[in-house]
Amino acid sequence: MLIDRGLETIGRYFILLGKVFSKPEKTSVYYKQTMRELVYLGVNSIGITAIISFFMGAAITLQTAYNTENPIYPAYLIGLGCRDSIILEFSSTIVALILAGKVGSNIASEIGTMRVTEQIDALEIMGVNSASYLILPKMIATLLFNPFLTLLSIIIGIFGGWFVGTQIVGVITSEQFIYGIQYAFIPYYITYSLIKTVVFAFLITSISAYQGYFVKGGSLEVGQASTKAVVYSSVYILMFNVILTQMLLT
Amino acid sequence: MITVKNLYKSFNGKEVLTDISVTFEPGKTNLIIGQSGSGKTVLLKSIVGLHEIDRGEIWFGDVPFNKLGFREKKEIRKQMGMLFQGSALFDSMTVEQNVRFPLDMFTNMTMKEKIKRVNFCLDRVNIHNANHLYPSELSGGMRKRVAIARAIALNPKYLMCDEPNSGLDPITANLIDALIKEITEEYSMTTIINTHDMNSVMEIGEKIIFISEGIKYWEGSKYEILNSTCEKLNDFVFANSLAKQLIRK
Ligand SMILES: Nc1ncnc2c1ncn2[C@@H]1O[C@H](COP(=O)(O)OP(=O)(O)O)[C@@H](O)[C@H]1O
Ligand SMILES: [Mg+2]
Repeated sequence: MLIDRGLETIGRYFILLGKVFSKPEKTSVYYKQTMRELVYLGVNSIGITAIISFFMGAAITLQTAYNTENPIYPAYLIGLGCRDSIILEFSSTIVALILAGKVGSNIASEIGTMRVTEQIDALEIMGVNSASYLILPKMIATLLFNPFLTLLSIIIGIFGGWFVGTQIVGVITSEQFIYGIQYAFIPYYITYSLIKTVVFAFLITSISAYQGYFVKGGSLEVGQASTKAVVYSSVYILMFNVILTQMLLT
Repeated sequence: MITVKNLYKSFNGKEVLTDISVTFEPGKTNLIIGQSGSGKTVLLKSIVGLHEIDRGEIWFGDVPFNKLGFREKKEIRKQMGMLFQGSALFDSMTVEQNVRFPLDMFTNMTMKEKIKRVNFCLDRVNIHNANHLYPSELSGGMRKRVAIARAIALNPKYLMCDEPNSGLDPITANLIDALIKEITEEYSMTTIINTHDMNSVMEIGEKIIFISEGIKYWEGSKYEILNSTCEKLNDFVFANSLAKQLIRK
């Protein structure tokens, strides 16, 4: 029974993706929609990404500093630790989780509302592929924009660590911190982080769109779909985090 | 002309429509009437292909619509306009963008031509100076009219209306009914209207089918409806006690 429903869900998810990636009817309309979503889902997420990155970078630096107070650890390790935690885990995974909350609920409630108010039926009756028209622009927008958000998050996170660690609290000198963030730098970590970001963006958009697209009922159900979108996206992000780490870092 | 033959539709094993056969004629307002929950919406959505049907045939003219593939269905759909119960205007778009949407999607008209067509359609439904308003800024009656304008933007051959005057006051409801009837005659469209409103039935019911619990019990015109011997229909038509007393006399 449970397996039946699980298989049905997976089946419907992939059928929906199939519809999303079929040939768009009119490129110019899709282009406009994508531009709109870039602003709506991407640019509007810059603020939240910047704020959480700053504070997380600061917290990571302070934690690393207090955990390595023993003089056998050189002070520049604080900068190094801050850099690697941010690049490897924080700016891809944690930012993705925050975006699952913001963007995911947004997508699910927008598409869900369109479902229960028959706007999706209205598209279908006109002969528009509603799945593609509604979901593809969001998908493209997040796949293009989220890597940029991740890079921004890395920069602001490290800056936050430097600013609070050296200028405000003073757990480390600026020279040591800067030496640390340059020490034994592995550029591949950035690639790894960006690959994760792209996969997470796909998970957030597709799972949330799925939840919205198949809503039945009214505004109560739209709210529930929106919650489910966040919960499921988050769980799958963390699951794929493990899988991708195993695949990419070994 | 739209022909439905022996249509069956169920959801999760529960039969909602049973053996419906009916013909809808062009240039006429065809009404599907019945109590709330009787299956009107499901019937209309099955006809246009928004619901997969279990069994039966649906013909648009001489095209077997339910047998077509997705792409061929799309061609027929461009000839359909549909007015949904809650208007279903796109709330992220203005009135003008809503009506323009089918033109953007399916024509190669220039922007100037499109705006001209949009204004023509809005004019036809008596909406003026509202091009840049959003659906949330309109009254229920205006929303219905904008939805009609959007439905007729591509000059459809078929117009489907699901409870076009639900939630409207009686006077606005009559205006919407009259508008649909006029447009139907003007463009010789095949129009199907779902309603449970007896007022509409008496105003615009040229051809009426009555369904109850998914079964078609009666068909005829508004002139015949008051003299029918179908008990279920009479219960529906004379639902209020005053009417029942009158009919008994
Ligand atoms: N998507 C659906 N899934 C399951 N049951 C449905 C669905 N849509 C409608 N029904 C059921 O079909 C019956 C007819 O509904 P409907 O056609 O909406 O009635 P109405 O005549 O008021 O338009 C109702 O019992 C309703 O619960
Ligand atoms: Mg209905």
